[in-house]
Amino acid sequence: MSYQDWFRQDRLPHIYCSGCGNGTVINCTLMAVDEIGWKENETVFVSGIGCSSRASGYIVTDSLHTTHGRALPFATGVKLSNPDLNVVVFTGDGDLAAIGGNHFIHACRRNIDLTVICMNNQIYGMTGGQGSPTTPAGALSTTTPYGSSEPAFDLSELAVAAGANYVARWTSYHVKELTRAIGAGMRTPGLSFIETMTQCPTNYGRRNKLRQVTDQVEFMKNHTALRQKLDRMRESGQKVPADVIAIGEFVRRDRPAMGVRR
Amino acid sequence: MKLVIDQDRCKGCNLCTLVCPYRIFLPGKTLNRKGVVVPDLDRPERCTNCRLQKLYGRTLCGLCVMICPDQAISWEEEEPHEPHKVAIEY
Ligand SMILES: Cc1ncc(C[n+]2csc(CCOP(=O)(O)OP(=O)(O)O)c2C)c(N)n1
Ligand code: SF4
Ligand code: SF4
Ligand code: SF4
Ligand SMILES: [Mg+2]
Repeated sequence: MSYQDWFRQDRLPHIYCSGCGNGTVINCTLMAVDEIGWKENETVFVSGIGCSSRASGYIVTDSLHTTHGRALPFATGVKLSNPDLNVVVFTGDGDLAAIGGNHFIHACRRNIDLTVICMNNQIYGMTGGQGSPTTPAGALSTTTPYGSSEPAFDLSELAVAAGANYVARWTSYHVKELTRAIGAGMRTPGLSFIETMTQCPTNYGRRNKLRQVTDQVEFMKNHTALRQKLDRMRESGQKVPADVIAIGEFVRRDRPAMGVRR
Repeated sequence: MKLVIDQDRCKGCNLCTLVCPYRIFLPGKTLNRKGVVVPDLDRPERCTNCRLQKLYGRTLCGLCVMICPDQAISWEEEEPHEPHKVAIEY
């Protein structure tokens, strides 16, 4: 099989805007699933509401496109009722961290055996570009017309603090690393959280001086650095620019988990 | 094997032009029948996959395929001694 066999070819091309990073994240996820050798009838994709959450509808396996913010409770139900299923969750930054914020921390605390992939485009893409909990300070959106004045959530640090067994952050530019991280997450029992910074050219890039799709992807390429490198810079007293995002593996551990295959 | 871009799927984002180490994808110049400016392929036979995919039995590099958000890039079987100019198919 190839990753293409996991797509519902009759549903393609998908509805995403030209250059939307969500398409890349689906590719990487399906490549990881294909590599790990899961079977179609033993795998379930669950998602909430948002552009990112439409991903589950393009995959041949059974999937649940649920309500806004509630992908994790639905996925918890699926996994606990049948721990033999492999459950993957697609979610957006608004879906996971705003309306679904409480579900997120408690799923991490319970450490349910899910693979949660968050396409963090730092905006509410589907509804027209409102600010989300991860919109960076100073960024323009329809609800922050003078630049966001709030600090943004660091979702990966939040997942580490809340107890997830595997946490990593990459971007839709780092396709190889992202695929490897998703695979590692799928192999780790307990909750695996993979955050991918993705471009939303339509509702984020366009308003934030990143007019071309490639501009926003180049920005992600140039404004990310390995977490360990940033730690070393801080230790040696160097200043880390505020707009640099830490990428890499955040944690891999063995806390007691729920819903693991017997 | 030869590299092709599916004219029905490509949305012209140019992300493939960003990642190919050989710069095989170049930003296109003309609209296709769907109104999309699909990238041009510059001597696609240079791609490691066109040459070695069969030999190794797996996809090498593959960055363009992974990053293409619209699943538009793939390799196709080609006839023996097929001229390479017809790299984009309609
Ligand atoms: C209960 C409820 N509240 C609000 C909405 C409207 N709504 C739909 S998608 C969305 C935000 C999606 O943002 P995100 O999860 O970041 O996904 P993206 O589109 O950016 O991928 C909102 C607020 C809804 N569908 N249901
Ligand atoms: S609005 Fe943004 S997130 Fe939604 S499909 Fe378009 S580019 Fe992607
Ligand atoms: S597989 Fe690699 S070398 Fe070949 S066209 Fe794609 S990016 Fe270029
Ligand atoms: S990455 Fe895919 S959709 Fe974008 S221009 Fe290249 S072939 Fe077209
Ligand atoms: Mg979003």
